[in-house]
Amino acid sequence: MKILFFLATLPMLYWQQGIDSTEALRRAGIERMYVPPDQVDAWKKAGFSPVPLSLSELESRVKLPAPRISTEVQVASPTRSPWVVANGWRFLRNSSGKYYYDLPKGTAALAAAEAFAYGADAILKIDPADLEELGRMLAFLQQLGPSPAETLADLAVVDDGSPLTSEVMNLLARRNLLFRAVSKPDPQFRINIKLGTKQYPRAEAANPSNFALKIRRQITDEKRLLRVYGSEVVICRLTGDGSRVRLHLLNYGRGKIEGLRVRLRGAFAKGELKAAGYGNLSLEDYVVSDEATEFSIPEMRAYAVVDLQLK
Amino acid sequence: MDRRTFLQLLAASPIASGSIVDSLPKYKTVSSYAPAPNPGMPGPYPGQVVSVRSARCIDETSEKVDVDVVREMMERGMCSLTGESKATDAWRRFFDPSDVVGIKVNCSGVPGVVSSPEIIAEIVRNLMIIGLKPSQIYLYERFKSQLDRVNYPAYLPEGVQVVAAESERGQIRLYDPAVYVEVDFFGEEDTRSNMIRLLSQKLTKIINVPNMKDHGASGVTGCLKNIAYGSFSNVARSHQRAKSHTYSFIGTLAAVEPLRSRTVLQIMDGLRGVWHGGPFSPTRRFRFYPKHLMFGTDPVAIDRLLIDIIDEKRKAEGAISVWNRSLTYVKPGQVRERDHDPNINIFIRETGHIEYASRLGLGVYDIKKINVKEIKI
Repeated sequence: MKILFFLATLPMLYWQQGIDSTEALRRAGIERMYVPPDQVDAWKKAGFSPVPLSLSELESRVKLPAPRISTEVQVASPTRSPWVVANGWRFLRNSSGKYYYDLPKGTAALAAAEAFAYGADAILKIDPADLEELGRMLAFLQQLGPSPAETLADLAVVDDGSPLTSEVMNLLARRNLLFRAVSKPDPQFRINIKLGTKQYPRAEAANPSNFALKIRRQITDEKRLLRVYGSEVVICRLTGDGSRVRLHLLNYGRGKIEGLRVRLRGAFAKGELKAAGYGNLSLEDYVVSDEATEFSIPEMRAYAVVDLQLK
Repeated sequence: MDRRTFLQLLAASPIASGSIVDSLPKYKTVSSYAPAPNPGMPGPYPGQVVSVRSARCIDETSEKVDVDVVREMMERGMCSLTGESKATDAWRRFFDPSDVVGIKVNCSGVPGVVSSPEIIAEIVRNLMIIGLKPSQIYLYERFKSQLDRVNYPAYLPEGVQVVAAESERGQIRLYDPAVYVEVDFFGEEDTRSNMIRLLSQKLTKIINVPNMKDHGASGVTGCLKNIAYGSFSNVARSHQRAKSHTYSFIGTLAAVEPLRSRTVLQIMDGLRGVWHGGPFSPTRRFRFYPKHLMFGTDPVAIDRLLIDIIDEKRKAEGAISVWNRSLTYVKPGQVRERDHDPNINIFIRETGHIEYASRLGLGVYDIKKINVKEIKI
């Protein structure tokens, strides 16, 4: 029952291609997908498990931008770092939201991983050329099993629903400053960001990059739950359940990453690494000190997951 | 070896006084390697430089190197440095057959000005004469794309290893996660620069073979810049807009163990040079031909002489000095303009990085205390 529930939470394909595309879906290993209602019977007869969904129903969901490195040269970046389009902060802000992606070629697998990492209810409308890659990613996600439920964070952001808070959340996530979106200040966090207060004036947040840096300095790098070295385009999510933590690593860049170094605050027994496209790998150069655990990811492409047990 | 952490906080260093130092970044050096009793830098010949020149070593028109002349320059330079009469004995002063030797080449000026393959081949030839096998000799550089363009293997015996730390820019798997300098310059997320794993885990000795080049951020790039920025990851982050932290970062990196102890010989390749736009040299516009090699163990002393070589050439060409810090000439990000006008720079030059390195004990900066032996062939 638990497994069935888990499978139902995975991101799912929206497939408009006709019944003559059965072979393509089979090659991709995809049996369950949303299809237009008038195609449901035909897909059932072909041995699939279609779920009816009209285009208008799909589009009634919140549309997400395709995850990627932005090449929009007209957008000025406040730093030398690449401009990353990522949706994790949206999922954290509204975890019960219903989302869909309308994805250009080359982005389906990362979008599936992104939605999975944040446990988002998301549907993927893809370029058919990405079908097999998406199929491989969905098969990988199925193997991972459910993630621990609690979002582990360094701070809380009081969500006033404003666009300014959106940008603050975006830049915090971009810098792997782990936050939890809350409706009112949460005493379990040393830092609660509420825009418009004396400590966090709106004018200061108008430059979200600088603002995120200020927050980083307040937390201090030593006390951050997570640090990542070796890439500017990997965004992480950390969840836990008391004894177990799961680290999701999403690579928004185009190429593979070799040797990404991760520092987690706390002492963890050597865990398991699974990377999409590679399967099980060993964590390298594993070091546990009094205050932190460090290890390297030998290789990864779009997505990798590390499961660890507290010592 | 027990893991030890050396905290190199400037507040505790002997140079922590004065306004410049007060504004320096806070560096944290992490390494499990203790210094050798006699570290390679500044080595056995502090403040001593052998300068060998020959008008015949390279043809300026064809840029063809005369291998025989280079061989003689190398032999005379090494003998003069060590006081030995035979080149073999001079090389034996530094290396024995059990060593695993790395040669730090400089390929950032590819294709125009790199560590000359003819010089590298001569170094390898001498190492083999004293008993090293080709498999004990490694050429290394950070970027594979640059190394590939030079094609060193075409000049070297089979079996010599040519290693790039980054097959694609930014990959860090071949860097040592346990040896690094941590510093936050501009609020960048990745605050670590790690030493190449080959250096920390395999090499026993290193020969540094820089070029004679101008450098837009560090003023000049010679021994210190080549061994420091060429042996660590994630170093370009030290420049942003007009500001560069090369002033303190170069020396800090060069002083990290085991790099400092294992870098035992400096051979500066000045067959060709770059007087503006360095470290790059895509065209001949700013290239010149000093026809000059320098030998030593003290990177600071050699680099101190390099400052004058580059500055005099710039002066002769009507360009501003490498010491000029006026913002009038600094146009951040304007690379194209910099490449056309030797009086435009994209950073404030930090030529003082060489003196700073001397204060970390890496060598002798005071020109009056540097003993130069001149040889002309």
